[in-house]
Amino acid sequence: MIDAVWRLESAKIVAALTRLVGDVGLAEEFSQDALVAAMEQWPAEGMPGNPGAWLMSVARRRAIDHIRAERRHDRTHEQLAHDLRHDDDDHEHDRDDTLRLMFLSCHPVLPPPARVALTLKLLGGLSTAEIARAFLTGEQVIARRIADAKRTLAEHRVGFDLPGPDEAADRLASVLEVVYLIFNEGYAAASGDDLMRPGLTLDALRLGGMLAEAAPRPEVWGLLALMEIQASRADARTGPSGEPIPLHEQNRGRWDRLRIRRGFAAMLRARELGGPPGPYLLQAAIAVCHAQAPTAEETDWDRIVSLYELLVRLTPTPVVRLNRAVAVGMARGPQAGLDRTDDLTADPALRNYHLLPAVRADLLLRLGRAEPARREFLRAAALADNAAERAFLERRAADLPAEEPTGATLGPAVAEFLAGLAGPTARSYGQTLKRLRTALGEQTPVAEPAPAEVARVATAAWHGTAARTWNRHVAALRSFFTWAGRPELVAELTRRPEPPPEPRPAAPAWRDTEAALRERALWWLLRESAAPVTRVLALNVEDLDLADRRSRTGITWRSRTAALLPDLIGDRTRGPLFLSGRRPAPARAPAESDRCPHTGRRRLSYERAERLFKLATGHTLSDLKSQD
Amino acid sequence: MRYLMLSLADENTPAPDERLFAEMGAFIEEMSAKGILLATGGLEPGGLRMTSSGEEFTVTDGPFTEAKEVAVGFALVEVRSEDEVLELARRFRRIVGDGVSEIRRVQ
Repeated sequence: MIDAVWRLESAKIVAALTRLVGDVGLAEEFSQDALVAAMEQWPAEGMPGNPGAWLMSVARRRAIDHIRAERRHDRTHEQLAHDLRHDDDDHEHDRDDTLRLMFLSCHPVLPPPARVALTLKLLGGLSTAEIARAFLTGEQVIARRIADAKRTLAEHRVGFDLPGPDEAADRLASVLEVVYLIFNEGYAAASGDDLMRPGLTLDALRLGGMLAEAAPRPEVWGLLALMEIQASRADARTGPSGEPIPLHEQNRGRWDRLRIRRGFAAMLRARELGGPPGPYLLQAAIAVCHAQAPTAEETDWDRIVSLYELLVRLTPTPVVRLNRAVAVGMARGPQAGLDRTDDLTADPALRNYHLLPAVRADLLLRLGRAEPARREFLRAAALADNAAERAFLERRAADLPAEEPTGATLGPAVAEFLAGLAGPTARSYGQTLKRLRTALGEQTPVAEPAPAEVARVATAAWHGTAARTWNRHVAALRSFFTWAGRPELVAELTRRPEPPPEPRPAAPAWRDTEAALRERALWWLLRESAAPVTRVLALNVEDLDLADRRSRTGITWRSRTAALLPDLIGDRTRGPLFLSGRRPAPARAPAESDRCPHTGRRRLSYERAERLFKLATGHTLSDLKSQD
Repeated sequence: MRYLMLSLADENTPAPDERLFAEMGAFIEEMSAKGILLATGGLEPGGLRMTSSGEEFTVTDGPFTEAKEVAVGFALVEVRSEDEVLELARRFRRIVGDGVSEIRRVQ
């Protein structure tokens, strides 16, 4: 019961206290004090008549005591009394404070995951444990993320003022983005086994409503409309076994008319305010088009295409362009849609995005090209993170007749090619060819791709990398296709001139590699600390003072390392910081001090660390100290 | 989860006054803005009743004297827990005064 009160009231309380004490961390502390007091007193004395006001007054009392103690010396009591005399049952005031708190918790100095966590904590009234559950991560990770965020806000002296006119638009955009991120995390659970986490969807709707009340701008109403209409399809968008049902196949009878109506109402509010439509309003308008169509066939695709054209002009992101391709495919036929996806396949941002091959598969299928469609479905399945979605895409592929491939297909060919190579080369080439397999599809016959396609894959994957890295990938492709009897495929890929080895320092290739978290953390730590490799590898989790960015063993680091460490540590509380990738065989159990008490894994060895760096960059770890 | 809250009244329930209207208006506004209150409304005390038995349908006009308490208002809310709906009901009852609310989860 106290939890329920807290969820409904905490935003208001934390916001009012932040204005009072000027520090969001302190404000939250005092609010939590009030919550604890409630848990102690309410069960014994019964719940007060107005629980929200009770919590607010206890929290305010704590805050005022604190301020008195702080200011005893330089302020008279009269002044103080004057400063504190905002009697806050004023609705306007509350709204204003809530808005300020939203701007604060979505401040651009914070990384987006921190904005999300802080917003849910301060404005959604969620506990750290609830946030951790919603994001499928450890409680300590979230606790640390929130603590770091508060510290960052304090360090940057971010005030509780509303942003000035020059930055208001950007700051509001950041708030909207955070709310929509939360919504999507709930609505389209990106990873994990469930397709939806309805709790977060609801939290986002509440935050959106709060925001619309406090800052009634067209884009805010637009976002609210968009979320309401998307949420209206929640029941209709998954089938009995959790598989996703595409919009045009959903049973519209299961759409929640109540939510749709709320969405329309929000849309009207946005339109009444006028002005040129922003990205959320346009997306909401598209959602309205779908919601208004009595059947999928009656959808006004021409209007949707023109809305997407406007949206692409405002936010030309690859995902928006992909959605436009879908709309074009509906309005003007599958070939027109497919043509619109062609330039997207070369876009690096989409190289791991499963919906691109899924969309292409649908369009190919409508064109009657079953075999390429089947392969695109398989590619999409290989890229999907969500279990239900992956299974669905695999089923779509399995529903199509598999054509007997003419000659060797890519997957087995690559495996055979790699099997004939020596260990290190096989590993290095394997990296390159894995990308090729995901991009072109395991079951694509080797005889099929055109040179342009291979060039497109290479460009999408490695265009931005250093010359040395690019050349390594090109060499791997050339070697494979020559072996496979199709050397012409790589004729267009040319080596880039590498910077001469002397004078050093050369391009810092290690920053560009797609290394794993552990490697990046190790490399940045070596780089920023300039400490000897062995001392860095000897670090234990319990030695670290993340807040002070130093270890008890005297190693210090800076922001890049600091950003990576929390995720590297995860829920671990002690044991070696850098762990080897595998558990040791029972016969080779490491010494207690080199064994992680959480995972049983061994401390990363110097030899292995050196080798990984050499493989990735061709350098030795000690180079990290001197390289720029 | 969604709940339907019904507020019941009998002949002793006082008629709403201006203060109640104002407080209720603010409460409804707040809860709608939060996205919690999805729909609400008052209900006429009597109404119609239809009884079916096989092919036979009988319509009767209210009020129905056998019922002591009748639903006079409803609210459809979307909440995260049963605790939350109870807290809402508590706030609601504090505004309308003594009486009974029925709370049913929409399945």
